[in-house]
Amino acid sequence: MASLALEKVTKSFGKTDVIKGVDLDVREGEFIVFVGPSGCGKSTLLRIIAGLEDQTSGHVRIGDQVVDAVPPAKRGIAMVFQSYALYPHLNVRGNMGLALKQEGIPKAEIEARIKKAADILALDALLDRRPSELSGGQRQRVAIGRAIVRQPKLFLFDEPLSNLDAALRVNTRIEIAKLHRLLGATLVYVTHDQTEAMTLADRIVVLNGGRIEQVGSPMELYKNPANLFVAGFIGSPKMNFIGGAIAAEHGAQTLGIRPENLEIAADGPWSAMVSHVEHLGSDTYVYVEMAEHGLIAARIVGEALHQPGEMVRLKPVPEFLHLFDENGLALPRPA
Amino acid sequence: MSDIQVARRQRRWHIAVFLLPALIVYTAIMIVPLAQTLNLSLFHNDAQNAVHFVGIENFRTLFVEPRWAAQFWNALRNNFVFFLIHMVVQNPIGIALAALLSIPRLPGRAFYRTAFFVPTMLSFVIVGFAWKLILSPIWGVTPSILGAVHLKWLFAPWLGKESSALITVALISVWQFVGIPMMLIYAALLGIPDEVIEAAEMDGVVGPSQFWKIKLPLILPTIGIVSVLTFVGNFNAFDLIYSAQGALAGPNFSTDILGTFLYRTFFGFQLQLGDHYMGATIATVMFFIILAGVCAYLFLIQKRMRRYQF
Ligand SMILES: Nc1ncnc2c1ncn2[C@@H]1O[C@H](COP(=O)(O)OP(=O)(O)O)[C@@H](O)[C@H]1O
Ligand SMILES: [Mg+2]
Repeated sequence: MASLALEKVTKSFGKTDVIKGVDLDVREGEFIVFVGPSGCGKSTLLRIIAGLEDQTSGHVRIGDQVVDAVPPAKRGIAMVFQSYALYPHLNVRGNMGLALKQEGIPKAEIEARIKKAADILALDALLDRRPSELSGGQRQRVAIGRAIVRQPKLFLFDEPLSNLDAALRVNTRIEIAKLHRLLGATLVYVTHDQTEAMTLADRIVVLNGGRIEQVGSPMELYKNPANLFVAGFIGSPKMNFIGGAIAAEHGAQTLGIRPENLEIAADGPWSAMVSHVEHLGSDTYVYVEMAEHGLIAARIVGEALHQPGEMVRLKPVPEFLHLFDENGLALPRPA
Repeated sequence: MSDIQVARRQRRWHIAVFLLPALIVYTAIMIVPLAQTLNLSLFHNDAQNAVHFVGIENFRTLFVEPRWAAQFWNALRNNFVFFLIHMVVQNPIGIALAALLSIPRLPGRAFYRTAFFVPTMLSFVIVGFAWKLILSPIWGVTPSILGAVHLKWLFAPWLGKESSALITVALISVWQFVGIPMMLIYAALLGIPDEVIEAAEMDGVVGPSQFWKIKLPLILPTIGIVSVLTFVGNFNAFDLIYSAQGALAGPNFSTDILGTFLYRTFFGFQLQLGDHYMGATIATVMFFIILAGVCAYLFLIQKRMRRYQF
């Protein structure tokens, strides 16, 4: 049974169409990530699911109930906001307990649920502090705790990591993945960061300009992007795109090849000049300038000794070539 | 080490230089007059018009000598009533209006906001005179309006009756100034981040309970400031009563507050001669009442109140 379904959902603010018809089925217990560039409508779509925003047309189904007219608190969902949105005047316990108190749940039960959430999130020592006395990472955990205690069927996260520093971001990412396994609830997570999407998602929904470009597991999107947008968005460094004669040889408008599928080899078909080298230790990114195709990145495992200005030959691994037609849609792989 | 100290000393000079203009202006128009008023309250003239230092004798006269004390305590009591009416009527209405104005997607918001604020910008002379006309039993519109809805029996010459004059004047003042707490609190409400309110929506805290449990606690610091402004404004009030009820604050001094009492004492009125020394004494007492009120707020209330950073 689908735990969340969107049916032809659209949203316009005045004359601007922000969501242009989205259909989606989310399975029970799935970790779904909405990813896309800033302003593509991820937050708007999440807020429509939450009920904070009314869709212009279409339906939202949660469980087996159409919730178009159901207020946010009655949808059986909990949301974690980008700015955490904790209540500044309440301490951590108060922040986590408010929704339960409002529902009229008995005191002992509220205490028990707060205790359990605090255990999971290591918040025991902080229960009597106010948000202003917490660090960014702690506030984040309180915001998650406030969602957990409500025991929702569906969690919504809107860019929960974007206010954290890089190290904390990686840690919290792992925490969120663990939490999802522990709770087993359905989770919809919004981010503009494709790394977060790749590492967390069961399935990724790539959004662009208010439309779904592709839905699939991280490796599906990585291996078989449906179009140029997804190909360019998923993966880091970005996939290289080559047009012109080289693409035409393969019967395509554009040819895509990921940096990790390019080798520098003397028998390679493409000649290019090294313009910049980045040493990451485990890998080396070699950026080369290719006549009429611009900058191309190649990712070499380990240390590669190349100097800017050096002429090299590039060799694509044939089975990893991606071909796109004039509309940017993926063509079937050459056999 | 000594270089640093030299640098520091130089920086201090800058500070002094920049503070000087403000200090001069403030001293000339605030501190000197205040000091002179305080000083004046310690002197009195005798029958030969010779001025003597009398210490706190003027204050004793004001507080206990029957002729003065009756007027003083009457004005002080009226002033407290005036203040309390503002606190229980003006500020709650201001908060309520602000809460209504901050309803998302309220149609005509700018119109309401302006409409409620306009009286604040009117001259007290216009307000006092207009309400005198409106409430007049002879040419006022109130009796006929009440008559039109068959409620004429409700009407009384409110400004002319000792029992109701003070309340009526206070309510006129509330009508005039309700825009100020409304604006301050409206601004405070707008300062609450949308996401906090949305989190409350998600948590099922909606409608009135959202106001009581989320918004009100977050605007308490502003309500504190509004209260202290009300206190200072009310204990300095004079103009509305002067223009609506005259310097004698009739009927029979029932609307007399410290401001009007000070005015009559200092400048004299009709048969009463002006007495600068007793006037300065009343002004001094007013100064200390307001000082005490503001200090109580700063040291007792504000210290316990939290300001929230969102
Ligand atoms: N309340 C609103 N009124 C008008 N336009 C809005 C509103 N909220 C969002 N938008 C517009 O909708 C688009 C998508 O916004 P959003 O969903 O926040 O994007 P993101 O994918 O970055 O989360 C943006 O162009 C934004 O300007
Ligand atoms: Mg967003």
